[in-house]
Amino acid sequence: VLIASPALAAEKVRWKLAMTWPSTLTPLASPAPKLAKIVSEMTDGNFEIKVDGAEKHKAALEILDMVKGGQFEMGHSASYYWKGKDITTVFFTSVPFGMTSDEQNAWLWYDDGQKLQEKVYSKFNVYSFPGGNTGVQMGGWFRKEIKSLDDLKGLKMRIPGLAGEVFAKLGVNVTNIAPGEMYTSLDRGTIDALEWVGPGMDIKMGFHKIAPYYYTGWHEPASDMQFLINKEAFDKLPKSYQTVLKTAMQAVAADMLSENFDASAKAWEVMKSEHPNIKVMTFPPEVLKAMKKANDEVMEAYAAQNPEFKEVYDSQQKYMKKAREWSKMSTQYYLETTEAIAK
Amino acid sequence: MLIEIEKFYRRLNRVWGKMLSVVFLLMAVNVFFDVIMRYSFHNSSVAMQELEWHLFSIVILFGVSVSLIDEAHVRVDFLYDRFSPRKKALINIVGTVFFLLPLALLILFGSLDFVQDSYKIKEISENPGGLPYRYLIKGMIPLSFSLLIFTAFGYIVQNINILRNARPQNIAPQQHETLEESK
Amino acid sequence: MIGIIMFCSALMLLAIGYPVAFTFGSVSIFFGILAAIVEIAPDVSMAAISKEFLQMFSMMPFRVYSIMNNTILMAIPLFIFMGIILQKSQLAEKLLESMGTLFGRVRGGIAVSTVLVGTMLAASTGVVGASVVAMGVISLPVMLKYGYSKRLATGTICAAGTLGQIIPPSVVLIVLGDIFQLPVGDLFQAALYPGLMLVALYVVYILVVAFIDRNAGPAMPAQDGTVFVNVRKALIAILPPITLIVLVLGSIFMGIATPTESAAVGCIGAMVLAAMYRKLSWQVVEESGLETVKVTAMVFAILIGATAFSMVFLYSGADSIVEEALLNLPGAKWTFLFLANLTVFVLGFFIDFFEICYIVVPVLLPIATAIGLEPLFFAIMIAMNLQTSFLTPPFGFSLFYLKGVCPPEVRTTDIYKGVVPFIILQAIVLMTVALYPKFYGLAQ
Ligand code: NA
Ligand code: NA
Repeated sequence: VLIASPALAAEKVRWKLAMTWPSTLTPLASPAPKLAKIVSEMTDGNFEIKVDGAEKHKAALEILDMVKGGQFEMGHSASYYWKGKDITTVFFTSVPFGMTSDEQNAWLWYDDGQKLQEKVYSKFNVYSFPGGNTGVQMGGWFRKEIKSLDDLKGLKMRIPGLAGEVFAKLGVNVTNIAPGEMYTSLDRGTIDALEWVGPGMDIKMGFHKIAPYYYTGWHEPASDMQFLINKEAFDKLPKSYQTVLKTAMQAVAADMLSENFDASAKAWEVMKSEHPNIKVMTFPPEVLKAMKKANDEVMEAYAAQNPEFKEVYDSQQKYMKKAREWSKMSTQYYLETTEAIAK
Repeated sequence: MLIEIEKFYRRLNRVWGKMLSVVFLLMAVNVFFDVIMRYSFHNSSVAMQELEWHLFSIVILFGVSVSLIDEAHVRVDFLYDRFSPRKKALINIVGTVFFLLPLALLILFGSLDFVQDSYKIKEISENPGGLPYRYLIKGMIPLSFSLLIFTAFGYIVQNINILRNARPQNIAPQQHETLEESK
Repeated sequence: MIGIIMFCSALMLLAIGYPVAFTFGSVSIFFGILAAIVEIAPDVSMAAISKEFLQMFSMMPFRVYSIMNNTILMAIPLFIFMGIILQKSQLAEKLLESMGTLFGRVRGGIAVSTVLVGTMLAASTGVVGASVVAMGVISLPVMLKYGYSKRLATGTICAAGTLGQIIPPSVVLIVLGDIFQLPVGDLFQAALYPGLMLVALYVVYILVVAFIDRNAGPAMPAQDGTVFVNVRKALIAILPPITLIVLVLGSIFMGIATPTESAAVGCIGAMVLAAMYRKLSWQVVEESGLETVKVTAMVFAILIGATAFSMVFLYSGADSIVEEALLNLPGAKWTFLFLANLTVFVLGFFIDFFEICYIVVPVLLPIATAIGLEPLFFAIMIAMNLQTSFLTPPFGFSLFYLKGVCPPEVRTTDIYKGVVPFIILQAIVLMTVALYPKFYGLAQ
């Protein structure tokens, strides 16, 4: 008599996943469908995840609520969108003057990072796992050059999040502009500057045609995406599916970092050849120092009122000290020395 | 009795209408003020910018009820226009019970958790310098749909009165109101 | 399949005449329950159905909230208010009458003026609804007063009011830019000529119709005095409202305000103008505010009903049916173009442009690229097609919005019949874009 052994009696599971991005917005929209494919294939089609882009659920910035509420078992988003719900969530995306993607991954997986992330998100009854990374984001497009701190005073800029708070402290006129009106506003000078992501995504917005100065990054050195999972739904999964899901999440997260690196490298090559007038700029040291100082003040103010924020902040700062030494010895010196002999 | 109820709803509706009209004007001035501040004084307040859509939300959410009593919602009217006032009233009663109320109830009850979650964690704006108390504006969803449900009963009464021939004819409410006053 | 039945049911229920917004909502509820049964079949039980259904509908608050904080929609009440103030202070009437006078004995002058004013408003907003309602408030009463046929009047307003979608800035073009991976600026530029072509055709059409049918768009009554005096009088009357429009546009072009904010500049400007002409009182402001509130809420209610409708439409799996059908489209250029446009056009009946853009276009795009179609050209075709879908009876949003501000004697059917010629004009322009892309600078 043939009786399926319990291990083979595969349980059928069908989940829904909501993304913050429209389905076409690669590479941000890449990890979730890839995850669904891997999970389905690894479970012989028994664990299916249906992925809805923002065009379907129409609630791009409500992913956390929807996963918590069980409308979707999973979500793909970025942690810092929940800054208004819990300020500590910002650390699981990226913070100004924070870690690089190498450092951040090491912190998440081999230090306290992921443990802290789970702790922060436990109050929402969801799990949050790393879900891809954009790498260093660019500092934004400026219509005029920033030569000194004075040039920042009264500058009208669209820049959200902690970076916005830092800039506001330096006298920047931080403005909210709906994404649908960013292009027109920058074009007409309603705003003088804006930050978006990096070449791979910026090129579609066409900002390079209307603002000549492209500043290098300082505020989002390694923006992590996140997978959110409804706690109850995850805990109910068979152990094997949990492992499949976790493994697949790690795989697609690593994949997105490579995908975006590739997209940005290629997009930048195109931009450079088609628009040789784009000027890549770094903020002057005086400005960067002031930004760093303002940032420290912002972070310490939050840490003073919020013990959990302080815990994660301290953990990151402590780890960064160690990790940065090694980053310098390894990556930075390698780049510097090889660049030097290339000249 | 039913006539009194109808009159009560009418009066209430005028109060809501006036209030929302003021809220809208505040919104227009708010947007204009933000433009001037940014352009002339290089000084934007994110809180003020967020106030714009908070006011906008109040106008659109609560306005749905005002429009209901004042018959300002659009209909496809090629058949409706040919119906007698009694038949129209019947359609409105049946429609309100089977079309409007279920939708309003679903949104009302669906939004309770949404607001509660926001309240529990004391959600604030995600923007630097934005407005606190996000749950207040989210709370406008269940509040406004409760008002819509409450208003729907008034609208049903209004149409029952037409059925009972308690009103001479089905004239536009605003005109009706002014006619009465001019007497 | 459920999607198609849903569409037909909505059609029939709408015909009864209960307000559109709530009818949409109830159709969604009914089919939501049906979709829930199909979803959980064969384990159907009351508890399971209601759980599945409530789960789906618990998305509604999120969708409502997304509409609330979509700041671009603020342009709608702001434009409506500006329109109402201009109307109540009779400035709009004077503007259109004077522009009409400039046409002398040529018939259709006010309708042509409406198109021109609509074109200017289109350059300052990109939100469906905002300019349609504003134009409806401003020019419908004037056209009716001078004996225009309801069809010509409403058709003109719907068509002129929908120009905002194709004449930049435009929300549709921004969304398409994202999907096509094209710079927004390039799309804005590319859309300008087809947009202006539409304007030109509208004007020619109005003049021809008014010429043939003397009751469609009568000329302004003859004025006493010399031509010179009348023209001067007209120009003086035109000046203040035109200044206002220039102010609104200027505030965008000079970088003072975003397109949405420019509408607020227009509101304040309109009140200042009305005050200058001593037509402003608290009563006028309050009444205009009240009317604005009601019309805006009407638009919002339709948005809620429509969002429930498309939610259920997509939940029932209609999107994957569409996607599969599209994947089987033929690879020959003209058949593909025809069927692709037809699909977008038909879907325009069911769901809003945002969903069409993201559901249909990504499927069509690789095929189009394989055939060798220029992406910019294809994007503009889709954009033009989408703007037509706002106008198509019975579900075109522009039609409902206009109906919301019409006097009761204007029927839905008047509007339906009125827009048909303009839809044909749009189809003609769409065809010329397909046949002569070079003429519009859309091909090398
Ligand atoms: Na960014
Ligand atoms: Na426009």
